[in-house]
Amino acid sequence: MTCTEFERALADIIDDESCRTVEHHQHIETCSSCESLVNDLNAISEEARFLEREAEPSARVWNSIEMALRQEGLIRGRRRVFTIFEQKRHWWRAAWLVPVAATLLVIFGVRYELTAPKEASKNISLAANDVTSDDDQQLLQTVQRRSPAMLASYEDNLRNVNSYIRDAEESAKSNPNDEEAQRILMNAYEQKAMVYEMAVDRSLP
Amino acid sequence: MSAAGKGDLTDAKKSKGNKLTETEAIERAKQGDAEAFETLYTLHKRRVYSLCLRMTANTAAAEDLTQEAFLQLFRKIGTFRGESAFSTWLHRMAVNVVLMQLRKKGLSVVPLEETIETEEETPRKELGAADAKLAGSVDRLQLQRAIDALPPGYKSIFVLHDVEGYEHNEIAEMVGCSIGNSKSQLHKARLKLRELIKTAKAQKASNR
Repeated sequence: MTCTEFERALADIIDDESCRTVEHHQHIETCSSCESLVNDLNAISEEARFLEREAEPSARVWNSIEMALRQEGLIRGRRRVFTIFEQKRHWWRAAWLVPVAATLLVIFGVRYELTAPKEASKNISLAANDVTSDDDQQLLQTVQRRSPAMLASYEDNLRNVNSYIRDAEESAKSNPNDEEAQRILMNAYEQKAMVYEMAVDRSLP
Repeated sequence: MSAAGKGDLTDAKKSKGNKLTETEAIERAKQGDAEAFETLYTLHKRRVYSLCLRMTANTAAAEDLTQEAFLQLFRKIGTFRGESAFSTWLHRMAVNVVLMQLRKKGLSVVPLEETIETEEETPRKELGAADAKLAGSVDRLQLQRAIDALPPGYKSIFVLHDVEGYEHNEIAEMVGCSIGNSKSQLHKARLKLRELIKTAKAQKASNR
């Protein structure tokens, strides 16, 4: 058997020794080059099975999945507070949810302050430029204390949702009779309330 | 070994204490329980993400694909009846999401050489050339770098077979090629890896 013939057969016999003929075995024993090739390919294959499996996605991934699941209604339960948006109401009647969610956050934040070590509130340096309200800052501080790994993700979410709300508000003001613009604005408020609610959930002991 | 046999490589068996088991989490997720979804995500995120990362070699793309794979899974969780292991079901879905994404980007999942096979395109052993041996000295980091450098088609089949443990018949079904092609492409992928690792070793040696 020549090296070329052996190589042609290699794809079928490399992983299955039972497919090897006497000629294959004899060739491996007498040809150091083909023996080396088989050993190398086996070494690559064996090493591949032990490649590191500990890579971990950032917190952003779960956050986005959770948000999508809630929006699609796949996560059910006490978050039915959002049923209000399913009714045909004007957007300004729904906007109260954001301060309510913020108030909830403050209540839980205060409760935490009474029980948690004071060091938790020190040395907090948040990217305030993109987050406008005190409520947002309060939320980020709570996240910083309870789930520091989630901070960047919440900053991103707030930045995005605030931008979404600004755009939606401008559109709704310019077109006060446009139901679609109002629906979009309600959705924007809903998303922000959702961010707050998720933070409140995570803050619960 | 089939991929199902590698189920213990996930974190699925590690659920301890008062945390939900996988079976409990599946049932509760079907009812819309938020904690159950998070439990399932936590149990399997590393394996799914690792697969996506290995296939794309890009953290942002891998995260997007991980998100998409879990969303597809959670949307269909009500249909899961337990005929196969949950990890197998999830992993297949992740593989399909990645393959679909590669196809969308116009990257061939099966190398073109499959249909237009030429001697020139196939990585070959250089007969008569000095043949540095790799056996016993394949560094994992070098191997990972070489995998990242593989053409997408070779990479898909190598990762699915040698890293993830799928059999050729399973790969053929997922990728949409014949079993013979899967074997052939795997072999070429290994030859290409050997070539890449040898080149890297030679460069490293010449830099000393």
